[in-house]
Amino acid sequence: MVRRRNKHTYEGMYIIRATLSDEARQKAMEKITSLITSLEGEVHKVIDWGRKKLKYEIKGAREGHYFIVYFSAYSDTVREMWNEYNLHEDLVRFFTLQIEENAVPESNEFTFKPLVEV
Amino acid sequence: MNRRIIADMGGRKMGKKRCPLASSGITSIDYKDIDLLSKFITERGKILPRRITGVSCQSQRLLTVAIKRARHMALLPFVSNE
Repeated sequence: MVRRRNKHTYEGMYIIRATLSDEARQKAMEKITSLITSLEGEVHKVIDWGRKKLKYEIKGAREGHYFIVYFSAYSDTVREMWNEYNLHEDLVRFFTLQIEENAVPESNEFTFKPLVEV
Repeated sequence: MNRRIIADMGGRKMGKKRCPLASSGITSIDYKDIDLLSKFITERGKILPRRITGVSCQSQRLLTVAIKRARHMALLPFVSNE
């Protein structure tokens, strides 16, 4: 019997090390988005949320660059993504949340205030 | 008659508590909305009980989850000494 695979929409939040150069940061983000597409996923939107002071220290980092990625993927590939993210050195913290398909924002602006740059 | 309205508590008239989220027209609670979430935590970073904030039961449950998600992403502190 073929296992049924369901595709869902997800919202992923990623904190990249703030000490990286712009180029290295882009490269680190590319690594994340290309992993999604390589696992039959589809990236809908990437939002650069800016640099922010972390409220507590994570892996020696006091500041981080926040990214929000909206993507759709098969539910069984998300766990594989997590395994890869844990090996990603410049990724300080990540979070994946399953959302409704229509919950992907149309604009890059949130209705509430974006993060203040530091 | 509503006892809560006429009850005189230490010389202060008690009004009926309304959910602050519903009365300000907030329908969705998002873990990214730190300005909103930080109104429902103490200076130390603890989640305020709803008997103090007056938030409805459903909203309090959503708030709790949102605050915990925000804490995981270092948007809110677990403990703050400031």
